[in-house]
Amino acid sequence: MSLIRVDNMVKHFPVRGGVLNRIVGKVHAVNGVSFRIDEGEVLGVVGESGCGKSTLGKLIIRLIESTSGEVHYDGTEITHLGHNDMLPFRRRMQIVFQDPYSSLNPRLTVNALLKEAIVFHSIVPPSEVESHIDKLMAKVGLRPDQKNRFPHEFSGGQRQRIGIARALALNPDFIVADEPVSALDVSIQAQVLNLMMDLKDELGLTLLFISHDLKVIEHFCDRVLVMYLGYVVEEMNCLDIHGEARHPYTQALLGANPVNDPDEDRELTVLEGDVPSPFSPPKGCPFVTRCPLVESRCHEEMPPLVEKTKGHRVACWAVE
Amino acid sequence: MILKALRSRGARKFRQNRLAMFALGVISVYGVVALLVALGGIRLEETFERVSRNSIPGAWGSQTSEKRVNDAEEYLEEIESALDNEEHLEYRFAERKLVDLPVEELVERVEESWEIWDELADVSNVDEHPELLVKLDEVEERIDALFAPLEGVDGWMYAFRTYLGTDRQGRSITVRAVYSIKLAIQVGFIVALAATLLGTLLGAAAGFFGGWIDGLVIWLYSTFSAIPVLIMLMVLVTIFIDTPYEGTLVPLYVSMMLTFWIGPCRVIRGEVLKLKELEYVQAATSIGFGRFYILVKHLIPNTSHLMFINFSLLFIGAIKNEVILTFLNLGVKNQPSWGTMINQSRQEVINGFFWQIGAATALMFGLVWAFNIVSDALQDSFDPKHVS
Ligand SMILES: Nc1ncnc2c1ncn2[C@@H]1O[C@H](COP(=O)(O)OP(=O)(O)O)[C@@H](O)[C@H]1O
Ligand code: SF4
Ligand SMILES: [Mg+2]
Repeated sequence: MSLIRVDNMVKHFPVRGGVLNRIVGKVHAVNGVSFRIDEGEVLGVVGESGCGKSTLGKLIIRLIESTSGEVHYDGTEITHLGHNDMLPFRRRMQIVFQDPYSSLNPRLTVNALLKEAIVFHSIVPPSEVESHIDKLMAKVGLRPDQKNRFPHEFSGGQRQRIGIARALALNPDFIVADEPVSALDVSIQAQVLNLMMDLKDELGLTLLFISHDLKVIEHFCDRVLVMYLGYVVEEMNCLDIHGEARHPYTQALLGANPVNDPDEDRELTVLEGDVPSPFSPPKGCPFVTRCPLVESRCHEEMPPLVEKTKGHRVACWAVE
Repeated sequence: MILKALRSRGARKFRQNRLAMFALGVISVYGVVALLVALGGIRLEETFERVSRNSIPGAWGSQTSEKRVNDAEEYLEEIESALDNEEHLEYRFAERKLVDLPVEELVERVEESWEIWDELADVSNVDEHPELLVKLDEVEERIDALFAPLEGVDGWMYAFRTYLGTDRQGRSITVRAVYSIKLAIQVGFIVALAATLLGTLLGAAAGFFGGWIDGLVIWLYSTFSAIPVLIMLMVLVTIFIDTPYEGTLVPLYVSMMLTFWIGPCRVIRGEVLKLKELEYVQAATSIGFGRFYILVKHLIPNTSHLMFINFSLLFIGAIKNEVILTFLNLGVKNQPSWGTMINQSRQEVINGFFWQIGAATALMFGLVWAFNIVSDALQDSFDPKHVS
């Protein structure tokens, strides 16, 4: 049974402007996305910067309120729960952020920030809080005696480990990993990724793993959602992305694959032409402005995300 | 929270600023003096006591012969009438008692002094006659000898009290100026603390919760800041006229607190608007903490550098405005403050006597200067982009 079911998730951010600061439009960050995540599964989300990956992740764990759509967590519809009813689910769903600097409060020691969460949810009896913290530190590869330090005394990689420890502190079963390594030095990216995957196996976690790097997704994920301009354009297994990718956008991402050069700006720009602004998305297929296979129908109608073969869904008129 | 702030990078930068550390030392000296005064080092009554003749200059000043002749006359008359009424044992001139001699001896000495004094009295311009100046010195020495010598601590105290001269009622300028340090620091501290806290709470709530709270706070501070500070203060202080609080510190506290919260409020609101988008705030939300807890625990402590800066700016503002309001007769009454001293010295300045205004402005300048340096250094170290 799937742990999470997302139904028709939509998020429009209001855009304000003018002298009176009125709402002058909206950013279509996420446009009717539906999918499931099975227990113990690692679901990847890939796409260029600004396509709505982070927004989607935050919508699922309700860091952002959705415009419409539902999230079912372990059979419960959580999108409309009040603060207190939401608390047990908050404990079960955590997030690891991209930026290891802004994701830790500079005024709290590691001990203080872990303790705060553990005590709030009564994860362990008060007498065991300290030893629980020590265990967490060891789990993420930090020395327990480093716990009384402030975030600025750690390196980027270490800070990301602290972020992981904070997420794990509540014994969650689902974690959103929002580009957890893309702000780190290439040399330590692999360490942190391996740590996450080891912890995933050890603790039986379910992951939503966001990345703009298909290589990483292919390596670590079971399934992948390819996002473009707030839409899921393809959903498939990760076993053979190269062989099976059918959407022209996914194929373009694969074509631009050698992203391993550390000096290269790691934001992907895979295609000619600009991504249309999510402020005024094109009519019809979102990819229409850059697609090599474009046909007349693409300008008129949005292609639905349909199952082409088992477990493989594609949104494109040109794909049979 | 303060300890943690002291460990930060900004604090290190601040400590490397030598001028700022010196200024901090100056502020500490003022602080210690204020504390000693508050602990009873100078009682309020002492600031009203007569310590010597009126309007005498400080230790390194000089006065006109005309005034010296007048002062000698004043002394001799007072001593004479005390002797006539046989009150010489209780008689004190500004705390100094007469020497322990038989009455006849004293009467005789006063007589002799009068004789010399008479020679000076009718001359219009003593300064032009060197031989008369010698006589004037002699009269003064004789008068001094009529008083019991001040020994030990008493001597020290007398020197301290007359070090910067006396005002027109013979009260010690030193004592009044030093007592005013306590008043200034008290007003500065209470006003700056209250206004910073009020501004921080309003600004943080406005920035964090947005919506109607933000609208209300913005409306309040836009309205308030459209009125010039001094006018606003004068209006608010005037409300207290004819109440029991008139002339006390209460109208000053209330008016300045209601006027000064705007600065910290605006700055902290902006900072909270920025901070609340940061991921550690989202992390706290994802743990499930309530909004209020997040505001108090995760956001406000991260504005503490701005609170420090604003506190120190408001401290100066409060001291300056206390002086201005008091000078305009809208501030403190019945206790010395630099404002009352400057107010009183208006008449003296016309007569060419600058000791009182000099002492009050010099002490005020020292404190304001030091606070300005420290505020600037705080800003450079903790807020290089000058949010505030
Ligand atoms: N709080 C917000 N207010 C307005 N627009 C936003 C906000 N957050 C994200 N967006 C917009 O939504 C779109 C998707 O953003 P995001 O989910 O962060 O993309 P990604 O993580 O894929 O780079 C972007 O165009 C972004 O500008
Ligand atoms: S629907 Fe048309 S425009 Fe969109 S991806 Fe397919 S071929 Fe390209
Ligand atoms: Mg993102």
